[in-house]
Amino acid sequence: MFEREDETVERVIQHLRRPVAVDPGLDARVMRQIAQVPREERRGRPLLWPLLAAAAVVATVLVAQPWNRNAASTADTLQFVLVAPQAASVALVGDFNDWDPARSPMQTAHGAGIWATVVRLAPGRYRYAFLVNGVEWRADPNAPAAKDDEFGTPSSVITVGGRGS
Amino acid sequence: MILAALLLVTQVAVQDPRLDRLDPDTRSAVAAVVDSARVARLPIEPIIQRALEGATKGAPATRIVAAVRRLAVDLGIARAALGTSASEAELEAAVAALRAGATPQVIARLRDARRPPLTMALSVLADLVASGVPADSAAAAVLALAPKARDADLVEFRRAVERDIALGAPPGAATSVRLNAGALDITPGSLSSPGTPIRRSRP
Repeated sequence: MFEREDETVERVIQHLRRPVAVDPGLDARVMRQIAQVPREERRGRPLLWPLLAAAAVVATVLVAQPWNRNAASTADTLQFVLVAPQAASVALVGDFNDWDPARSPMQTAHGAGIWATVVRLAPGRYRYAFLVNGVEWRADPNAPAAKDDEFGTPSSVITVGGRGS
Repeated sequence: MILAALLLVTQVAVQDPRLDRLDPDTRSAVAAVVDSARVARLPIEPIIQRALEGATKGAPATRIVAAVRRLAVDLGIARAALGTSASEAELEAAVAALRAGATPQVIARLRDARRPPLTMALSVLADLVASGVPADSAAAAVLALAPKARDADLVEFRRAVERDIALGAPPGAATSVRLNAGALDITPGSLSSPGTPIRRSRP
């Protein structure tokens, strides 16, 4: 019974981990639609343009991730998932975000206890862990363990391949 | 005096601001390791990340400094095995493989057997050992797969072995069985480079 539930959870996690394809034409389509809005209507919403500009800046930063040491066109978008029903907060920390818990806070939908976040990673091998409630370190149960943990807390590793992966 | 001042200014200028998260003594010791690595043309980002990991995890200063020193040494060994053209990602993966128990000779053989990047092959080797597979069995398996398997094939191989181990199979036997099964399953379309192993030279 437990095995079957574990398999189901495993399948869900594997599905969620699949790279999210971002349509490169999205920006162009959005801008085309904006261009089609009559000028008068645009003038009538003076706050719209600053908000759009701010959104564009945020989107650019999120996609480019300047904190990513190897941000490049070959980066993969990966979803990290942790099942932690009792947690009040979960952060993803690792080599890809300077081990800063504020960089990648994880979100849970409707309080179901399945925490997730998406990160773009260039090819490489990364150490990471989940920080639960700001104090408890957890490894990813669905990833290889980092064997050389010199700091006494569990970590996991993820490898993003650059060829045929 | 002036020279000393210039040296001090230079050191401050090149010090990574992220290291400000460390206490002054630890920061100074880590910065020295980073500077040495830079002079030796080793990647410094993994060293900085290891220090930041230690800081975030609240590790004592001595442990952080020991960890970054050990990492710098291992990066040097990895580069000696892979050659100076190895990427930062390959060197990090090679360090993981070395720490898992692979010898520099195994890493050098892998370099000769497979086209770069070697990051995934080295990582799979390290991850297999972390799963309980004896280091020599893991090395033999990855070396056998290296010439023809794609990165995705290597990852699938690792997952299959891990599944078998989770179901109770002895790690060495699981590796051997999956290796033999995989050899039968390989189709020409799935090979990155059919034929003889790739030989290349790296400085």
